[in-house]
Amino acid sequence: MLKVKDLTVRYGDLTILDQVSFHVEEGDWLMVAGPNGAGKSTIINAVAQGAPYTGSIDLAGRDIRSYKAHERARLLGILSQHHYFNYSFTVEEVIRLGRYAYTPGIFSRPREEDETYVREAVEMTGLGPLLGQSVLTLSGGEIQRVFLAQLLAQNPSLLLLDEPTNHLDLVYQKQTFGLLKEWLKSPGRAIVSVVHDLGPARAYGSRALLLDKGRLEARGPIQEVLTEENLNRVYGMDVFAWMRDMLSQWQR
Amino acid sequence: MHKRREGFRPFEYLLFAGLTFVTFAVSVSLGSVRVPLPDTVTLIWNALWRLPLPETAVSPSIILAVRLPRVLSVALTGAALSLCGGAMQGLLRNPLADGSTLGVSSGASLGAVIAIAFGITMPSLPFAGTMVMAILFAFLSLIIILALAYRLDYSLSTNTIILIGVIYSMFVSSIMSFIITYASDRVRQITFWTMGSLNGSSYGNALILLGALLVFGGVILLHARELNAFAIGEDNARHIGINTRRVKLTVMISVSVLIGVSVSIGGTIGFVGLVTPHMVRMITGPNHKKLFPASLFGGAIFLMLADLLARMLLNPVELPLGVVTSFVGAIVFVFIFHRARKTGHA
Amino acid sequence: MKHKKLLTILSGLILIALLIAGCAKPETPDPSQSESAPAESHPVQSTEPADQSITVTDMTGRTITLDEPASRVVALTAADCEILYAIGAGDALVGRGEYCDYPAEVLEVPAVQSGAETNLEQIIDLDPQILLMSTMAQSEEQVAALEAAGIKCVVSDAMDIEGVYTAITMIGSLMGKDAEAQAVITSMKTTFDEVAVMAESLSGKGIYFEVSPLEWGLWTAGQGTFMDEIANLIGLDNAFADISGWSEISEEQVLERDPDLILTISMYFGEGPEPVDEILARTGWDTVSAVKNGLVLNLPDNELSRPGPRLAEGARMLFDFIMDHESVLDEAA
Repeated sequence: MLKVKDLTVRYGDLTILDQVSFHVEEGDWLMVAGPNGAGKSTIINAVAQGAPYTGSIDLAGRDIRSYKAHERARLLGILSQHHYFNYSFTVEEVIRLGRYAYTPGIFSRPREEDETYVREAVEMTGLGPLLGQSVLTLSGGEIQRVFLAQLLAQNPSLLLLDEPTNHLDLVYQKQTFGLLKEWLKSPGRAIVSVVHDLGPARAYGSRALLLDKGRLEARGPIQEVLTEENLNRVYGMDVFAWMRDMLSQWQR
Repeated sequence: MHKRREGFRPFEYLLFAGLTFVTFAVSVSLGSVRVPLPDTVTLIWNALWRLPLPETAVSPSIILAVRLPRVLSVALTGAALSLCGGAMQGLLRNPLADGSTLGVSSGASLGAVIAIAFGITMPSLPFAGTMVMAILFAFLSLIIILALAYRLDYSLSTNTIILIGVIYSMFVSSIMSFIITYASDRVRQITFWTMGSLNGSSYGNALILLGALLVFGGVILLHARELNAFAIGEDNARHIGINTRRVKLTVMISVSVLIGVSVSIGGTIGFVGLVTPHMVRMITGPNHKKLFPASLFGGAIFLMLADLLARMLLNPVELPLGVVTSFVGAIVFVFIFHRARKTGHA
Repeated sequence: MKHKKLLTILSGLILIALLIAGCAKPETPDPSQSESAPAESHPVQSTEPADQSITVTDMTGRTITLDEPASRVVALTAADCEILYAIGAGDALVGRGEYCDYPAEVLEVPAVQSGAETNLEQIIDLDPQILLMSTMAQSEEQVAALEAAGIKCVVSDAMDIEGVYTAITMIGSLMGKDAEAQAVITSMKTTFDEVAVMAESLSGKGIYFEVSPLEWGLWTAGQGTFMDEIANLIGLDNAFADISGWSEISEEQVLERDPDLILTISMYFGEGPEPVDEILARTGWDTVSAVKNGLVLNLPDNELSRPGPRLAEGARMLFDFIMDHESVLDEAA
């Protein structure tokens, strides 16, 4: 579905991503891991056409730059990490914008099918009671869910998620991972997500990329990439020891 | 979940149009010279149907040739500037963005001043030189301001917007001073551009404003949904499938034309695009599908009232319209700024 | 931002400001002088026979003493330049304000920045004995600095025709041209007497002075302006006598007041219709008597707006225009 080759992003003299290549196939859940500053979010930005890059990105067999904006949005959905609002749009107004790709431009009218997707997205994210509320009154976690709902209404085949469970409490973290796992079961879909939390990454991911300082350190099936040896090298500490220590706090 | 209309409902159109009409009627019947209301109505009615004009105490031209075209121009200018303000506030995701706060209007008047100082005219169309230059400079200003804004601060915070407005306005005013020194014999004309007035507007002016509003105002209205997405966030707009470059360019061109035309006819009338959308937003909410139509009517009402004040306050002396709007606008500006800082992100 | 804009407007208005005689009286520049001059003083010339020393009291009541008639003068206002040339003392002018433009020879004299941008260095560099200026834009600090540099500052600040006579007399004394000054005044007085002969038959005729055209906002000259004073001399009623000084007015007021004559002082820049034709072509103005009868006159060279000797010429031009169109004007009555 997505083929990325020699992806390089530079800002002036600073190289953020250095010749990163990977591909995503149907049914994949690719976890992008690595310490801060590794370039994880930049991969998402570049694929989303939000950062200048060199190298090639192919989406469903075509150069991603050859798509019209709304065509691209039907295939590719993006959830950013940071959101803030200046205006008091309602939750429903924000979610409905997710259908833009199917009714682009000036003259297209909304169809019945749009309603169905919006309704399903609202049900899946449990935002029903908040629909009429101003987004200015929401908590960080609620805002994250609003954009997740917008993304589901958009109904793309490939999701790019930048720390999707950021701001979410444990209950919603678990729900969100479960929701995405369900979503992935339909044929023709795939997910790429940037993660900090290595536990869920290993639990839900099928494959992984491990980045460090803009370079690809490892890629492949999740068990082969998120290994003790790889993680210790990239993070420069005994990762497993730390995680075991944290867990043991609960066994006292 | 029931399906809701996002746009204006018929009764809302009726309500706003009714309010606008009442303000219009009041504006036409009140003025520096006292004309009884029945006389005003008969005069306009007879003129509309080309009936012979009745014998009235005052000259019919006061209503038909002076007041009517002026109030029409004022209403259309108010509508155009408010729509521009609303569009820029959506595009830049900031409620303080406006032609006058960012310096786009100053840029447009600089274009007009350059046209006058260097005698740039179009033969057969004496007014077109200043108008084309005003539009061109409004567009250039927008490009410079946006480039500055994205370079300084990609998130376009309120502080950045104000900072850029101040810097750009000072830049423009320095060039303006330079030209005033250069072409001092035309200074009196040039000062007109710094404090707007619609004294002496003709039906021709009103017609040009109407034409610009129909075409370019229409373009902005049709981009309400895209501007909703911009108002939520430019990245989000791109993610949901909006061609952000194209929309930005289209809206910028439309805004430039509307501001350029308004400035070349009425000079710099500040803060209209800040005050109206802000007040309207409190009633309709931020959705541009409602905000835009309401701003059109609201802007017309606001500027007609401001002009009425300018005409009546020191009668027979007239205040420049820009003085009245800037007075109100500065107060609203502080109010919005204060609120923006209180409600989280600024 | 607004402040900056205000400054721009201010500097833009310099030209107008310099021409307005009827604006608020500014504070008197008052350097350290011991004797307090009488408030209502007119210049007293007391040329002592023994030496050539000259003492005058300027129009703010300050006393200025010169050892001999001045031979190097900088004049900042256009009116003072005109007075100097009118009394035959144009040769003594070594510097002029940037807006001084009459007579044509004055343009060959080096210009200095005046008004809000008054440039002291330029003035001191020209090494004049006296600086003629108005009270409009020069601050007390600037006056003090100039006096410290040995330049005597003389303020001429005529608010009415009588004030213009006073200014001419004063400048005449300073330049040792008393006789010439008196001749100029006599000639002005003669002209003003001549243009007043029709006063009775013209009574009730209204005139509207247009200072700025419709396109840039209508401005007129009301009470306390030279135009108003001259209208009254000739026997006309200023249509906007209820306004004081120069002011922006509503277009509909002009139509309502239906003046018999219109005098515009707009300059023509070579584009579009000339000022007179532009007024005649205005929509809705066809009901105004002056427009109906074609009684619109253009005096574009500051004849009626500067407190100088040419006020008489301007009055004469207006009077001649009325004489030429007397029959039309009578018919209209």
